[in-house]
Amino acid sequence: MTWLDSTVHRAMIEAALVGVLGGVVGVFVIARRLPFFTMALTHGTFPGIVVAALLGVDLYLGGGVFGLLVVLAVVVFSRARGQDFTAATGIALSGGFALGVVLVSAQDGFSKDLTAYTVGDVLAVSTSDLVITAVVAVVVLVVMAALGKELLLVAFDREGAAAVGLPTAVLDFALLAIIEVTVVATVPALGAILTVALLVGPAATARLITDRLALLFPIAAAVGVSCALAGVWVSTQWNIAAGASIALFCGSAFGAAFVASVVRGRLRSTVDVPVAVTVPEEAPA
Amino acid sequence: MTQQQDRTAALVLEQASVAYGHVPVLEELHGTVRSGEAVALIGPNGAGKSTLIKAILGLVPTVRGRIEVLGVTPAQARRDVAYVPQADTLDPDFPVSVEQVVMMGRYRKIGWLRRPSAADRALAAEALERVGLSDRAKNRFGTLSGGQRQRVLLARAIAAQPRLLLLDEPFNGVDAVSQHALLEAIALLKQQGAAVVVSTHDLAIAHLACDEVCLLNRHQFGFGPTDEVLTPERLRATYGGHALELRGDRVIVTQT
Repeated sequence: MTWLDSTVHRAMIEAALVGVLGGVVGVFVIARRLPFFTMALTHGTFPGIVVAALLGVDLYLGGGVFGLLVVLAVVVFSRARGQDFTAATGIALSGGFALGVVLVSAQDGFSKDLTAYTVGDVLAVSTSDLVITAVVAVVVLVVMAALGKELLLVAFDREGAAAVGLPTAVLDFALLAIIEVTVVATVPALGAILTVALLVGPAATARLITDRLALLFPIAAAVGVSCALAGVWVSTQWNIAAGASIALFCGSAFGAAFVASVVRGRLRSTVDVPVAVTVPEEAPA
Repeated sequence: MTQQQDRTAALVLEQASVAYGHVPVLEELHGTVRSGEAVALIGPNGAGKSTLIKAILGLVPTVRGRIEVLGVTPAQARRDVAYVPQADTLDPDFPVSVEQVVMMGRYRKIGWLRRPSAADRALAAEALERVGLSDRAKNRFGTLSGGQRQRVLLARAIAAQPRLLLLDEPFNGVDAVSQHALLEAIALLKQQGAAVVVSTHDLAIAHLACDEVCLLNRHQFGFGPTDEVLTPERLRATYGGHALELRGDRVIVTQT
């Protein structure tokens, strides 16, 4: 019996991997204001996972293909006259999830597995799941490091990036693809509904702690890993759902950082309450 | 128009028409900007000033005629062209420092998969010095005032060492200190041989900083030396009913 034969050990490694991945990729999700899109993507992979389970093919493959369809659908729909990115995203989110539910409900004796697909089960990951997550993590981190400055310029100033001749559409697609494979790798652990917690929470928390881009990535990764490991540990100690525990830790981390930032008075002007102006009771004659 | 054979043409418009899809935005533009010269694009809102800048960048197609930048097509010239957008079009919450923004000007020359060298860092620092904001290098971009952010974007363009500089309304809502800093930095770039195209609402700045003026409102209402082109008649023609005449020789533009 090897160390990896333990369910808890596998869950811990999977949690650490998706924690790093979600934190680092999340920095771009937050900076480009894509949490809602990420939400749609997680739900879009759901029918793919169901179809893959029905056909007996790899769940990652099914989720990945459907997630890619969602990316394409959102990009195409948002180019339609009078439509914007968020409307297309909303339709893709509900449509993807509904298709998954319909597919599940059409199968006798399949409904009981619905929970596993929607909220995940990190304690059920196999060694091959771990290998896939590890490969995804390495590929995503290498691609992000390689395209870092170009992704940064497109995120900050899309027109300026186009003006110097960067292929902005290709770089946009590269970022969406990075988010997509991260989602697909995280869904088995956290499920279609809760995956967004790891892709948004740690990076949003890091953003409250620092303004410096170079520090955002390690802080977000550290928060992601901490939340994921704490979630698994709590779940094994008290026998509660691991995915939900991880998501709750992400929410709590953000809440704690938010309170701390208010206390330190460095809440940014967008949420600042205007300082009250005292008005003299009587205007001078 | 006077011909100056000693200076090379940085920008040539030859009966150029520009369109978004099937919607024509600018028609029949004609004129030349030489190295070391600055031209002001003047016209009301919606006149097509920003569209012309995008056409010079090759981001909006020229449907008729020709736009030649540094002797080649706009797309081929991008390496030597720098663009300064309006600062308020950029997300002030974006987690990026002033020095990181200036370094973006070097990205094209650094190339894919490479990191900035010591030489790139020196050029970026020098560019920030030129706009007088070296002391703010470590600050987050969004914490600066509008005028200071505009200066940082100009520093980013300077760091790119352009032969043609394009500025879109750089003086909008900018305080006097920043306006002065912008004008000085632009003057130095001209001195070093760069051509400058700047869109503005401010006729005084056009007089102060630019050798030539292009009056625009869908069509061209004049292109040439500032003193010859900025006449009451032409301004009235460009701005339609929104230009008021004062004492016969001055014009006030009431709506821009």
